[in-house]
Amino acid sequence: MQQLQYIKPKSLHEALQYLHEYAGQAKPYAGGTDLMVQLRAGERRLAETRYLIDINGLAELHGFAMKADGTISIGAATSHSAVSQSALLQEHAPFLCAAASSVGSPQIRNMGTVGGNLCNGSPAADTLSPFVALGAEIELHSLRGLRSVPAPDIYIGAGKVKLAPDELAVRIHFSSAAAYNTAFVKLGRRKALAISRMNVAAALLLEEGRIADARIAPGCVFPVPGRVPMAEKLLLGQTPCAHLFFECGKAVAEEMNARTGLRWSTPYKQPVAEALVQRALCAAAGIAEEE
Amino acid sequence: MVTFSLSFTLNSAPVHIAIEPNARLLDVLRDQLGLTGVKEGCGVGECGACTVIIDGETADSCLVLAASVAGKSVTTIEGLEQDGILHPLQQAVLDHHALQCGFCTPGFILSAKALLDKNPHPTRNEIKTAISGNLCRCTGYMQLIEAIEDVAGARQEG
Repeated sequence: MQQLQYIKPKSLHEALQYLHEYAGQAKPYAGGTDLMVQLRAGERRLAETRYLIDINGLAELHGFAMKADGTISIGAATSHSAVSQSALLQEHAPFLCAAASSVGSPQIRNMGTVGGNLCNGSPAADTLSPFVALGAEIELHSLRGLRSVPAPDIYIGAGKVKLAPDELAVRIHFSSAAAYNTAFVKLGRRKALAISRMNVAAALLLEEGRIADARIAPGCVFPVPGRVPMAEKLLLGQTPCAHLFFECGKAVAEEMNARTGLRWSTPYKQPVAEALVQRALCAAAGIAEEE
Repeated sequence: MVTFSLSFTLNSAPVHIAIEPNARLLDVLRDQLGLTGVKEGCGVGECGACTVIIDGETADSCLVLAASVAGKSVTTIEGLEQDGILHPLQQAVLDHHALQCGFCTPGFILSAKALLDKNPHPTRNEIKTAISGNLCRCTGYMQLIEAIEDVAGARQEG
């Protein structure tokens, strides 16, 4: 590993000053679960890194808050364990808790943070899919000011994010999904400690037995994350049933092919995407997958 | 070479040590402090052999920057034995023949300890989840699960 200086700022402003002063040479250190691996592997994107700025002590980056208008925010340095166990989130975004509890292992969840999960740019980030379905916005701070970016918009492609070197993710904001029925399903190579091969976050708003709103966010499926409006539209006004959800899964898989083009993995991924979308929607609606 | 002056609590005792700022906690524990019960398996957070407890939470010490534990409390396997008497989890692992090569054992015991400290009466599923970040490649998991259940059950009776 290259020579690095360790800095633990006492305030958010001090952290931003370091990120500004050493722009391009400084990286925020939160959970370390990805960063330490990447540094030891000598990844090229970290070749210029000389300073690690430990942001764990900054109060602004921790904890959960809910405003009177139903907007919820999570500190970017909140661990996956804390997210999965939060009573507030269990009520207002249960599929986010499910996704956080499926990340890595207990050791990784204790250290790894939701902000890191988003800012590392992995298309397999488990919390990304529910954040996309929630319409989450990331609050980015720098000495130049503050901006809010919808979660999918910081992704350029696998491992690449549109974050300026002096910017720090401070909080993640979204509206309560307590009125929705939500589900997160994940396909990994094994049960424990698996990175997602594919995952789906789904949220359904049911009014008098019919679907009034639907949000489908598949993970590891598109080059940049996003929802699938044409598949969601199929569900509006309909009564939940396994056949409808199967048709919706087919629409998502077709959209995957349209956005990524046909690849060597398509014969595998297409039926898997169909099945996972159907599974997620059935789980959200609380119905069986077979009719 | 600029060094970092690190102060933290290690197995209930204060430690002050000069470290390299980019050192992993794993290397400081093993190479500078001689605590070789912490093992390096994969070095990327997959195997759990380097598990330690930091302020009550398990962590893979291969992924932790040593400087970041300043002011925190770290527990390694060496901190479990008291006055020559093994911790109940250590004794249970022996009683259940829950190890062969022993490389993964410290990590398993620390994951189990962190679980029981928070949840003295876990279900079997809670035990399985708690040790899901630790890999064993020779003994398998049944004896370990039974050893942990044994300790949890004993506490229940006591």
